[in-house]
Amino acid sequence: MQSYNTHVKRIILLLVVMAIVGYGAKRLLTPKTFGKYGHYRAAAIDAELNRPLKHMTNYSCKKCHAFEWEIHEYGKHKTISCEFCHGPYADHVKNGKYVAKLPVKKGLEIKTLCIRCHNKEVKARPKDVIKTIKMPDHLRKQHVREDHICNQCHHVHAPLRYINMAKEILGLAKNEEAGDERNQDCH
Amino acid sequence: MKEIKTAINKDRREFVKKVLRGSIAGSLFLLLPMGGEGSIDVPAQIPGIRGKKYDMFKQRFAFIVDITRCIGCGSCCVADKREYDVPDGHYRTWVERYIKDFDDNVYVDCPNGGLDGYQKPRTDIPGKIRDTFFVPKLCNMCERPSCVQVCPVGATFRTPDGFVLVDKDYCVGCAYCIQACPYSARFLNPKTKTADKCTWCYHRVRKGLLPVCVHVCPAKARKFGDLNDPNSEVSQILAGPEVITVLKPDLGNHPALYYKGLRREVV
Amino acid sequence: MTEAVHTGMAANIMNYVFPNDLHVHWSLMIVLYPYITGIIAGAFIVSSLYHVFKVQDLKPVSRYSLLFALAFLACATWPLLNHLGHPERNWEMLVTPNPSSAMAGFGYIYSLYAVLLIFEVLFIYRPTMVALKAQATGKLKTLYNILTFGSDDLSPRALALDKKIIGFLAALGIPMACVLHGYVGFIFGAVKARPLWSSPLMPVIFLLSASVSGIAGVILSYVLIQKFRGRPVDSKCVITLSKFLWGAFIVCFTFEMLEVFQHSYLKTHHWDMIHGLLWGPLKLSYWKLQVGVCSLIPLFLLGILILFKVRDKAFVFFATIASALLLVQVLLMRWNVVIGGQLMSRSGRGFTTFHPEFFEKEGILPAIIIMVAPLVILWLLGKLVPMWEEKGVQPSTESTIQS
Repeated sequence: MQSYNTHVKRIILLLVVMAIVGYGAKRLLTPKTFGKYGHYRAAAIDAELNRPLKHMTNYSCKKCHAFEWEIHEYGKHKTISCEFCHGPYADHVKNGKYVAKLPVKKGLEIKTLCIRCHNKEVKARPKDVIKTIKMPDHLRKQHVREDHICNQCHHVHAPLRYINMAKEILGLAKNEEAGDERNQDCH
Repeated sequence: MKEIKTAINKDRREFVKKVLRGSIAGSLFLLLPMGGEGSIDVPAQIPGIRGKKYDMFKQRFAFIVDITRCIGCGSCCVADKREYDVPDGHYRTWVERYIKDFDDNVYVDCPNGGLDGYQKPRTDIPGKIRDTFFVPKLCNMCERPSCVQVCPVGATFRTPDGFVLVDKDYCVGCAYCIQACPYSARFLNPKTKTADKCTWCYHRVRKGLLPVCVHVCPAKARKFGDLNDPNSEVSQILAGPEVITVLKPDLGNHPALYYKGLRREVV
Repeated sequence: MTEAVHTGMAANIMNYVFPNDLHVHWSLMIVLYPYITGIIAGAFIVSSLYHVFKVQDLKPVSRYSLLFALAFLACATWPLLNHLGHPERNWEMLVTPNPSSAMAGFGYIYSLYAVLLIFEVLFIYRPTMVALKAQATGKLKTLYNILTFGSDDLSPRALALDKKIIGFLAALGIPMACVLHGYVGFIFGAVKARPLWSSPLMPVIFLLSASVSGIAGVILSYVLIQKFRGRPVDSKCVITLSKFLWGAFIVCFTFEMLEVFQHSYLKTHHWDMIHGLLWGPLKLSYWKLQVGVCSLIPLFLLGILILFKVRDKAFVFFATIASALLLVQVLLMRWNVVIGGQLMSRSGRGFTTFHPEFFEKEGILPAIIIMVAPLVILWLLGKLVPMWEEKGVQPSTESTIQS
């Protein structure tokens, strides 16, 4: 039997049902870890935590490349990461096994890489942080041919290694290097 | 002459022996486990994190950028891009170059976010250059983050240990947080279609390693450490007399990224 | 802070945009969304002027404006869903809305407003639909049955109850319409990182221009539909609507100009950037188009129409032109605010560029589709229920307008 307010009653019923269903859906759909520490999924912290590492540190190279590592560790380039020039660890070793070769820079690539930091023309390189040179003036000053690549005089891992060896031979004072107190056995 | 030849031959034999030993040993490494991702067998770079229970509520980390040491090599940008596969045209961290002339004009550039370093000086500056410096930028990890405030669904948040992270499985990609960040540290990752930004390498810090950009910086222009450790470099700098500033302090975000030697021209 | 914006040759080499600021993230879709919700809010206010404030002159469009609002409401979420990186996760706004985020309000504000508007339309049209149900057959009959909630009772008591409910919904709808569009303004006003947006005036300006766009939309579409159908236009209705339009626009324009004036007078360090923006990349779309053509012309046009003796036919004609211009003005205002605000880099030293493509995901073609769709839906609604209350209209017998 319809009355004057049947449609209103049905509408109210519909709204109440929608509200209840909506609330139920909200409870069901809210992620489990939501609200644990704040208005977010606490599981997201774990997701970020479990992100795989791509870079390691220079020590991770020591195990297999001890020879190069030692030269590098006690050279002036100690603070440069192996992975910057050669690529990240994860591209080289996965699950404890060697997977791929890492690039080794050669020829003009080396020169470009050196100039990237050591170019005196780009000002704003504090003198107490890094020594800068101007090309080709640096080569002229050292009386060296202007088509020389940097690593013909400078060991890329320890740039002052050969310089100091040469100076020792000539009886000149050596340049200061990292770990000089260690007895450097060059042979 | 004969003695020299003998000596050389002896050296040769020794050399060959060494190489053979080396190759055999080296090839054995292909079989031996070398410590994969599960175990981190490199020494910790941040003391006091490994080997004990990590209480998120008691951590205090600090990140200091030293403008007086940055050489603009871009190693930080390269390492960051590699660590996180950052898509081209977007940057989690970048290095800006500031050039000032004698009329107080400031010229700023940031070619490709500093990824290629700064190989050449700028040639388009009229007039004489008075000063120039590099400024690395990254997420400021604000204590009152604008991005967290505006996220409509709770996909970006500040962890109890002070890191502002993005939940990329929950983010809807509305880009409101990107509008809200005063430091332009955020971007919309076109691959995941979610917001993305520098995380101060949370996944490395929790394992006792430094953030990648800090680790690769050859000039020690980026520093990261534990403020709960009074002997850490960051604690000592913050306790020292150097002037430490932050970017855009007037906005009230209370950034946790500190700058040492920051100039007034930097925005 | 030293001068951030320089002129002349220096300006060309001094444009520095933060690397992450080069890309404009909020595009045409985000320009359209406030435009659409603005039209909804404005059209609803037209209807409520009749139902709540008893402005009798607006009776002819009182139902139509609700249908107009409903048609646009149906499409309000489209630009947002198109814009989201993960539209399939949109339920999160309803399940875990962040209370500190203005945008989180969208889910509930939109849903509640949709419920209110739909029910108001259903209540107003119930007697009509009961009559239509009697004549209909098959699926259409079932549809009318559902829409009338299965009740055929049109007794005076039922109609009295309906009237009360309609009045209540229309009254409640006014603040809700204000919130529906006001919160959008707050989405922008709350972003302190963007100097063009960060202002307490932003929600006010958005709301006022919403009213303008809604009223103008009703005038324009009403006149065009009547002309298209060869029916007479109720000039008294258009005249009254135009008066409200003019009043709303005066206030709206005042606030828009006040905002710019405030910046130019205070000359905080933001002024350099805003000045560079408004007189640079935005010179055409802001000063020439939005202010010059689309604000000053309708402002004076409507003023002349309302304050002086004008024949009805001329009034309707020029009022329609003014309405069309104002609809463009509001769209331009949304464009200049949304896009313009993002053109200024947060470096304080440069501007980026924005050129929407025709065929891209958030480009011009999707924008056209989204703006045409409500008109199609309106046409479909018109097939379901009559848009106008009576067959004839009451032309104004006075040729002078009382101001």
